Amino acid sequence: MLRNDLSELQRLAGWIQGWSDASVVSSDVSFAVQLCLEEAVANVIMYGSPKGDPLEIAVEVERNDGALVALIEDNGRQFDPTKVPPPLPAASLDDAKIGDVGIHLMRSFANDMHYERRDGRNRLTLRFVESQAGASPAE
Amino acid sequence: MDIAVEEIAGGITKVGLSGRFDTTGAVVVELPFNKIVTEKHRILVDLSAVNFLASYGIRVLLVGAKIAKAKDGKLVILCPENNVAKVLKTAGTDSLIPIFQSEGAAAEALAAS
Repeated sequence: MLRNDLSELQRLAGWIQGWSDASVVSSDVSFAVQLCLEEAVANVIMYGSPKGDPLEIAVEVERNDGALVALIEDNGRQFDPTKVPPPLPAASLDDAKIGDVGIHLMRSFANDMHYERRDGRNRLTLRFVESQAGASPAE
Repeated sequence: MDIAVEEIAGGITKVGLSGRFDTTGAVVVELPFNKIVTEKHRILVDLSAVNFLASYGIRVLLVGAKIAKAKDGKLVILCPENNVAKVLKTAGTDSLIPIFQSEGAAAEALAAS
């Protein structure tokens, strides 16, 4: 299951990268979307297994009003990443914990993060504003 | 993801990673990377050819640095100013592992250790 989902993520990342190559979105936005999706889906795979049913993860990305909006929906156990507190900076290498780095990265690279639980599914929405000044992808 | 090892001047082992340092890539290089940091003393991890970095990749780097430290060795990162560097900075990795933008500066820091 893990392998299948991760290879799907590679395919999705390739598709998003394709947008960037075709100048539909900037490479920075493409990077941010790929990173957040990688973190969100990896979290679901590692922590989200539902009891009994196979884990289902659906990812949708659409363009909306000068922003890319990604929705990650899964049938795993309830998990709200927006409620996870930011990790405390480690004082030294020995103290370093890797635990919540993924969620922290999502918060930092997405402009907006929203969670809801609906019909037994987690729905995580991430918003990425495309840069206003300078490069216009439509050109 | 690929990993290439080169011994350079100053008793430094340069570990060149290339490709996507995502969860899949990190799993691929994890074991060979850990082996290198266990055996070598001065490790320069070159991320110049890495075009993506996710938290599992950061985990591999941190574990590597911890292993090196436990063996009285030193590990530094070479990474140009780009989105990969931004991930490292956001995760606070730069306060735990020295990160340099030029190989010269990285090698100098290792030679001094």
